[in-house]
Amino acid sequence: MSKEMVIQIENARVEMEGRTILSVDQLEVSRGERVAIVGNSGSGKTTLMRMLKGYVPCQKGKVVVMGDVFPIKDPKKMKTHHRHIGMIHQHFDLIGRETVWQNVYHGRLGYVSLVKSMLGICSQRDLQICAQAIQEVHLDDKQRRFARTLSGGEQQRVAIARALAQEPTILLADEPVSSLDPALSEDIMDLLVSVCDAYELTLMMSLHLPEIARKYADRILAMKNGKIMWDGSSDLLSNDRICEIYEFMGTNGVVNGNGTRASRSAFTWPYGWQGQPLPGS
Amino acid sequence: MTPPDWSVWDVLLTSAVETLQTTIAGTFLGALFAYPLGVLAASNWTPVWVHLPIKAFMAFVRSIPLLLLALLFVSAVGLGPFPGVLALAVHSVGVLGRFVAEEIEATDPKPLLALQGTGASSLQIIQHGLIPQVLPQMVAHLAIRFEMNLRDSTILGLVGAGGLGFYVFLYVKQFQWQKSGVLVLAIIALVFAGEFAAWQVRKRLI
Repeated sequence: MSKEMVIQIENARVEMEGRTILSVDQLEVSRGERVAIVGNSGSGKTTLMRMLKGYVPCQKGKVVVMGDVFPIKDPKKMKTHHRHIGMIHQHFDLIGRETVWQNVYHGRLGYVSLVKSMLGICSQRDLQICAQAIQEVHLDDKQRRFARTLSGGEQQRVAIARALAQEPTILLADEPVSSLDPALSEDIMDLLVSVCDAYELTLMMSLHLPEIARKYADRILAMKNGKIMWDGSSDLLSNDRICEIYEFMGTNGVVNGNGTRASRSAFTWPYGWQGQPLPGS
Repeated sequence: MTPPDWSVWDVLLTSAVETLQTTIAGTFLGALFAYPLGVLAASNWTPVWVHLPIKAFMAFVRSIPLLLLALLFVSAVGLGPFPGVLALAVHSVGVLGRFVAEEIEATDPKPLLALQGTGASSLQIIQHGLIPQVLPQMVAHLAIRFEMNLRDSTILGLVGAGGLGFYVFLYVKQFQWQKSGVLVLAIIALVFAGEFAAWQVRKRLI
């Protein structure tokens, strides 16, 4: 039996100022998949996720997310769409002057009527979901702390809890570990993957480091110049292909200006992901 | 002016209370209009045909000297503290409204977008995203405005708008310098107290 498709894209184009910044010919993501999007800065990773979230309009082609056909013009339908897709932002984007609990409660705003939220009335269910989300990210003891007083890793946990409080079906994580040190990055990635497994969420994350993508994703999309250059199982992404995508050469990770491909044996990832060698290198 | 003639302590007390009342009423009446107008004057929240006229109105109000405003209101509603309240309120709308607008324009939009992404409505985004971000600065600006209004209200009496200034001017005209000296000391003490209060508020909020 085939799995339910939660994302279907056909010949989608996103244009900005007359320039095509994203061009996806075919992409299907099924429920429960863990997809990593890798590629250089400006390769279109974030644009693809912002398009799926509904922040960036798609000018051409067909995009269907959770049965919603883009563009979604009805504000009510857009609100429901937002609720179903949790997004973890690169810089966490929390309200620093509010507590951890309040920030997590923001994930429930899509379910709460305006009057209730104005009066500060929380239903038992909302309280329960927020408490559970905070428990999932192990911040029970810090729920009364202001978000701005937390460390980067803790803020990212709050952002994950806020997304979980939305009860999403799809979780988009825009470079979730780019602001964190390697050890903390691994903790956050472990947490992200474990909550996605626990809640059967479809995870799409943009990452800069192919090693993390290989470790945590089932499937990798490699993007370059707004196009998907490679789409396949994370085990099959070769070092040659990574070199081609990132345009690296030499052992020092010098960016190749003329586009010459680096040899597989000569390639080392310049940022040294905890010294773990690439498989086969 | 020395030595101060403390026999005017009853005048000092009543006029100082009147000055304080004028300041509180003027500042809060002004804030009542300044906050909504300030939100509407923020260029990142409202269309150009809304924020531009409001900004122009606030600039116009600010450009009128406070004493002139007080004179206008004295001639319109008569002598006493009430024209002083109106003058302070109108002037505060111009100044405070601009501070509010600038504070909102400088807000980081990314957390607001994140809130929109949870399915929150525009009013919910204002309540849970915008207000928590700008509230401390808004209250701090209000405290500063209160302190400035306190200083300004002491001279409003010069044009007949009540308070300490009115009696200072009265005693000066009668060449009773010792009595006016006491009132000037009271003005200095009030301004210091106002500044201390504003400083305390700022310290706790920012």
